[in-house]
Amino acid sequence: MNEQNSIPTTKTERSAKFVKTGFQIGGNYIKHYSKKLFNPQLGRDELNEDNAADIYKSLSELKGSALKIAQMLSMDKNILPKSYIEKFTQSQYNAPPLSGPLIVRTFTRNFGKTPEAIYDKFNLVSSNAASIGQVHEAELKGKKLAVKIQYPGVGDSISSDLKLVKPFAFRLLGMSEKELNIYIKEVEERLLEETDYELEVRRSIEITEACKDLKNVVFPTYYPALSGKRIITMDWIDGMHLKEFLQTNPSQELRNKIGQALWDFYNFQQHELRAVHADPHPGNFMITPDEKLGVIDFGCIKEMPDDFYVPFFSLISSDVIKDKKRTIEAFRKLEMIHQDDDQAQIEFYYKSYLEMIQLFAKPYTSKIFDFSQPEFFTQLYAYGEKIAKMPEFKQARGVKHFIYVNRTNFGLYTILQELKAVVKTDTYNPHLA
Amino acid sequence: MATSQQIKTGYIDYVLTHDEKPKSVYSFVKKLKITEAEFYKFYGSFESIEKLIWAELTAEAIDTIQQQEIWAQYSSRDKMLSFFYSYTELLKGHRSFIVYSLKKHTDRFSTPEVLAGAKPIFENFATGLINEGLESGELADRKFFAKRYKDALWIQFAFLVNFWINDDSADFERTDEAIEKGINVTFDLFQRSPIDNLVEYGRFLSRNVNFSDISSKH
Repeated sequence: MNEQNSIPTTKTERSAKFVKTGFQIGGNYIKHYSKKLFNPQLGRDELNEDNAADIYKSLSELKGSALKIAQMLSMDKNILPKSYIEKFTQSQYNAPPLSGPLIVRTFTRNFGKTPEAIYDKFNLVSSNAASIGQVHEAELKGKKLAVKIQYPGVGDSISSDLKLVKPFAFRLLGMSEKELNIYIKEVEERLLEETDYELEVRRSIEITEACKDLKNVVFPTYYPALSGKRIITMDWIDGMHLKEFLQTNPSQELRNKIGQALWDFYNFQQHELRAVHADPHPGNFMITPDEKLGVIDFGCIKEMPDDFYVPFFSLISSDVIKDKKRTIEAFRKLEMIHQDDDQAQIEFYYKSYLEMIQLFAKPYTSKIFDFSQPEFFTQLYAYGEKIAKMPEFKQARGVKHFIYVNRTNFGLYTILQELKAVVKTDTYNPHLA
Repeated sequence: MATSQQIKTGYIDYVLTHDEKPKSVYSFVKKLKITEAEFYKFYGSFESIEKLIWAELTAEAIDTIQQQEIWAQYSSRDKMLSFFYSYTELLKGHRSFIVYSLKKHTDRFSTPEVLAGAKPIFENFATGLINEGLESGELADRKFFAKRYKDALWIQFAFLVNFWINDDSADFERTDEAIEKGINVTFDLFQRSPIDNLVEYGRFLSRNVNFSDISSKH
């Protein structure tokens, strides 16, 4: 059994971790260039792979918010080279667990009882990690349950973690400081919400109740009486993760069914609830034995205020985009074009963002969209790469809501691509009145 | 007729109200309306009351954890973790007295006198766990050092109690982290490590290989 026995928690310890990563990456470059002296054919792939392994290693040892950031980075596949992605996506599954007595302690804290006294069966060895906590299997009255337990001190360390991640992310993503600050603040808010398990249970119940009529989507039942500040008890959802599911070679029909369920789940939330499960990484979904999509984690919810929702979706699902004046007006509302931009800048950003919106809106423009076609994603990646190289995009553009909305939709598109699903995209449409 | 319990409660009440121990046994028993003889029947001094309270709390924590159903499944490491979690939980109910009792002790490098009663109880418990661990192979049996393991755990005991006294986090959460890390690190050191293997390897080489032979062949 490979239990990790210490989480570096004080700021110095954690800084040390990042410093170490910095050194290692430096070392990897040295290794790369010295090898290249002898073998000029050596590509950057190996170097990227080395770097990714080191970054992943330090991030996964950090747990908590740093692991979360590893997950977020892994979502933005267009920013990172392929080998980074492979390592980062690992963090979505397994991180080493905490000791048995601390779990018992957390229970006695929350309920004044040990887990054995609460459940009929409780497995002290966790079945997987949930980035700021870990999941245990339990049983009560013949029902299989999933019990999520939060690591102690997570909330405390988030802000200091993010401060540490900043220079790291700065280098990794090549963002300007101002842009990064908006990003970090928004991320910090969401992360702190995620540590509030009482809030999570309330929201989970609200959203699963609102979504209960969606076809082929299933949710666990949540048990508020068996949940608390650090513990959530819900039904255990049997099934496979996306990766395992795809290995079983599912039929196109089945892929479409799961893909449609996913699409409906997201678009119902975006347009009917105006609040969306903003953590679409593959670890949060299960494909159940009766071929349904199980959604298991509502820690991260992004609410979309009208002043974002209306201009953004008017660009996507109405004629606004055909009218340059109205489009620019919408871009201004979304702070993609700034007050003090001159005529040339307005023209430049209008063109660039128009391209982005058109790409993004592509699945919406036809009634049916085939996510298996590689051209769409090639275009998306190419656009991302082009943008990343433009000095004009080094500064902050766009309201903060984009961070999670982009992440959500991009995550959704990515999963649908992996599923190679053909999806009816007009099931839930934006309300712009 | 006074009981040991009555005197103890009376003493705790007194020190928490006055933030110092009574001036004399005489004045204390007068307040309690008992005779000096009755006091001395149970306790030799005020210090011995404090010592007893610590000893009782320590024994109670050990007793509680050993009754947990899960106890038998725990490794030595888990058992020690479990002790500290229960102990700090138990101390929580007596925090004012604990803080008072240790506050007087300013020398950080010696064991506080009031813990003199708790120490043998804890060490006895720790020795039991260590022997269990040595037997099961969980801990490395090192000549000389294995006998000192319990001392390392006693240092952790003193450190963690002190940490808890100064902990101002909600629900003493930071103490939980200190326990999780501190005990894990200590047990990591008790476990077989690369150093042990290195020493073993060195021993093996010195017994079986003639170094000068090897170097001359190359």
